[in-house]
Amino acid sequence: MKYSSQSVAMPYFIAAIGLFVGQIIFGLAMGLQYVVGDFLFPAIPFNIARMVHTNLLIVWLLFGFMGATYFLVPEEAETELYSPKLALVMFWVFLLAGAATILGYLLVPYATLAEMTGNNILATMGREFLEQPLLTKIGIVIVALAFLFNITMTMLKGRKTVISIVLLMGLWGLAIFFLFSFYNPGNLVKDKFYWWWVVHLWVEGVWELIMAAILAFVLIKVTGVDREVIEKWLYVIITLALVTGLIGTGHHYFWIGTPAYWQWLGSVFSALEPIPFFAMTVFAFNMVNRRRREHPNKAAVLWALGTGVMAFLGAGVWGFLHTLAPVNYYTHGSQITAAHGHMAFYGAYVLVVLTMISYAMPLLRGRAANDERAQVCEMWGFWLMTISMVFITLFLTAAGILQVWLQRVSSTPMPFMAVQEQISLFYWMRLWAGVVFAAGLVTYLASFFVKGESKPLIHA
Amino acid sequence: MNTCAQTLVNPSALPAVASDSAPRRLPGDLAIWFFILAELLAFGAFFIAYAFARANNVELFNAQQLALDRNAGAINTMLLLTSSYLVVRAVQAAEAGQGRGAAKWIVGGFACGAGFIVVKLFEYAAKFAAGVSLSSSTFHMFYLILTFFHFMHVILGLVILAALWNGARKGRYGPGNMNGIETGAAYWHMVDLVWLILFPLVYVMR
Amino acid sequence: MQPQRSSALALHHSDHGTPLRATVIWVVLIAATIVTWSVGETGAAGPAIVGLLFSIAFGKGTMIILDYMALRRAPLMWPLLALGWMTLVCALIGIAYWKGLAA
Repeated sequence: MKYSSQSVAMPYFIAAIGLFVGQIIFGLAMGLQYVVGDFLFPAIPFNIARMVHTNLLIVWLLFGFMGATYFLVPEEAETELYSPKLALVMFWVFLLAGAATILGYLLVPYATLAEMTGNNILATMGREFLEQPLLTKIGIVIVALAFLFNITMTMLKGRKTVISIVLLMGLWGLAIFFLFSFYNPGNLVKDKFYWWWVVHLWVEGVWELIMAAILAFVLIKVTGVDREVIEKWLYVIITLALVTGLIGTGHHYFWIGTPAYWQWLGSVFSALEPIPFFAMTVFAFNMVNRRRREHPNKAAVLWALGTGVMAFLGAGVWGFLHTLAPVNYYTHGSQITAAHGHMAFYGAYVLVVLTMISYAMPLLRGRAANDERAQVCEMWGFWLMTISMVFITLFLTAAGILQVWLQRVSSTPMPFMAVQEQISLFYWMRLWAGVVFAAGLVTYLASFFVKGESKPLIHA
Repeated sequence: MNTCAQTLVNPSALPAVASDSAPRRLPGDLAIWFFILAELLAFGAFFIAYAFARANNVELFNAQQLALDRNAGAINTMLLLTSSYLVVRAVQAAEAGQGRGAAKWIVGGFACGAGFIVVKLFEYAAKFAAGVSLSSSTFHMFYLILTFFHFMHVILGLVILAALWNGARKGRYGPGNMNGIETGAAYWHMVDLVWLILFPLVYVMR
Repeated sequence: MQPQRSSALALHHSDHGTPLRATVIWVVLIAATIVTWSVGETGAAGPAIVGLLFSIAFGKGTMIILDYMALRRAPLMWPLLALGWMTLVCALIGIAYWKGLAA
């Protein structure tokens, strides 16, 4: 750690990991509800568990992005953070608002929660992933503005690098597109149309900029490759991500009442969305192969390479599987979507945040890298989580293919629930893979507590 | 005299002016070439999509294609080709050590590119006045998507040419420093290259 | 027989050809465009015409790729990728055209 104000990243990282644990607990509960329908009913029905699972994911990734930014920007700008105090205040505001929202989901009926939080003044609730009460949404905007103010001011007084500019573009985009969560037109087609401006333009647009910037930062640090080389790759990756991602939004517009040309625009551009992810894979391996030093933090290098591979598989390959309109006509909203969603979020965003945490945490704790044994433990965590995620994806894909076949392609289509019965074996297998994932997460957590001699702090 | 006449007929008979001992070298930045490949893939996907959509709707495509302004299309092809040629001359000037002289050639290339934009805008205005829209037919949809996607590339290419002009004027390019001008020129030629397929495909093939 | 020229080249080798070469190519490109345009004006159709159109397009594209983009002197992979792209696109357009004839 070069600048003392980078230490504000620490609470953000801890909160992120804590919420990650919560997400996995709810994921396991839902995995069981898939096959034992009345598990935890009526206390936590499936729809609530799902809402908590997905909202926790988004919130902990945001914590991770913010932590990563607070660590990255001072070092890139070569100056202390504009206001570490503001960063800490916003941490607590965001954590308390997030916790209150999740408790609201769990303790109060959703309709009551909506009434209590002013949804009748401005109706924004009740839409997938944007379920947050109005007050929480306003809170998110305030936190995001304070955060962006802090980061932008830091950058203005310091060195402006391509990495930090790309990161900042991604973060501003994230904040701007979130504003569409306040727009909730009565027309269902319009509603869905703009809903994707938050959801798709986040994960298949501006988040990719954030991801590429964080990955580039860690790769510079652990490989010692020239900044110039990495910056060129960054330019190419972000241009490709934006061109394919922005118009690629069209692959959500196939069957929601939008004009037919979206089937062509969406199919062609989204079919190209794997290219930036592939570029990131090549980029990560290329940089590690050309490394100029052996960084003591081997675990961070593993996470970075894992990000490259898993993001391409999950977001790229599994996305491509069902993105063409004629295919999507059959697969829309099936378990294939769930398979893609799991591996894409894990491969791209979970792994990039964990890459940053893996690189930054030892530095924040005053050492260049963790003890050998702690790193081995951490790498076990990586492999357990990654391999079990591959299996979760494969089982869901198998379930999805069978589901599409029995329910939609067959000449004697079966009803939804009857099909669910038929594919329950795959749900059981997915659940067990989920248990292994949880074991991997516990192993990962344990790695933070493995004691040993630490590597001396070297300035990278 | 004899060889001169030969070379005029067959350009590939002209000696490539490079000593054979020189190592093979990719002109410009590697990154732009990755980007160009991605662009070619995107345009290729659209061309193929157009061709197969046409195969299912031959009569519609043939009828509505007749209404396109082929003169505008052909003039635009020539503008892009000429512009590409002028940019090649700019690169050659820089390579010959006349870095500032390159700026004049780039202005010419830019002017042709801007001419393309003007012709295209007139073409679009006439089409829109005739009620052509993304939803008016499958052919119109493809016509608009393909040409507009290309149109956006021309605009980006012009921005790049403006940057090259600025660099050339300041004498930034020369035999020792070709990277910038070669990178920008490669992109501009790609914009030309895809149009060379687009024009016969959309305006002429029936 | 160009002994003087090649000795000059040893001092200054070029990846971008000569202005004369570029100009000749430009003339050919413009002439080819006029052919394509006049085919369009006659409204001619059919496999032979389409074959002619895309042969012209392919020839023009080859000149752009090898000479204007200067891939002639690049590592072999690059001209092959660009020419391969054009071959694939033209071939698939041809197949689609054939499919349209049969329908």
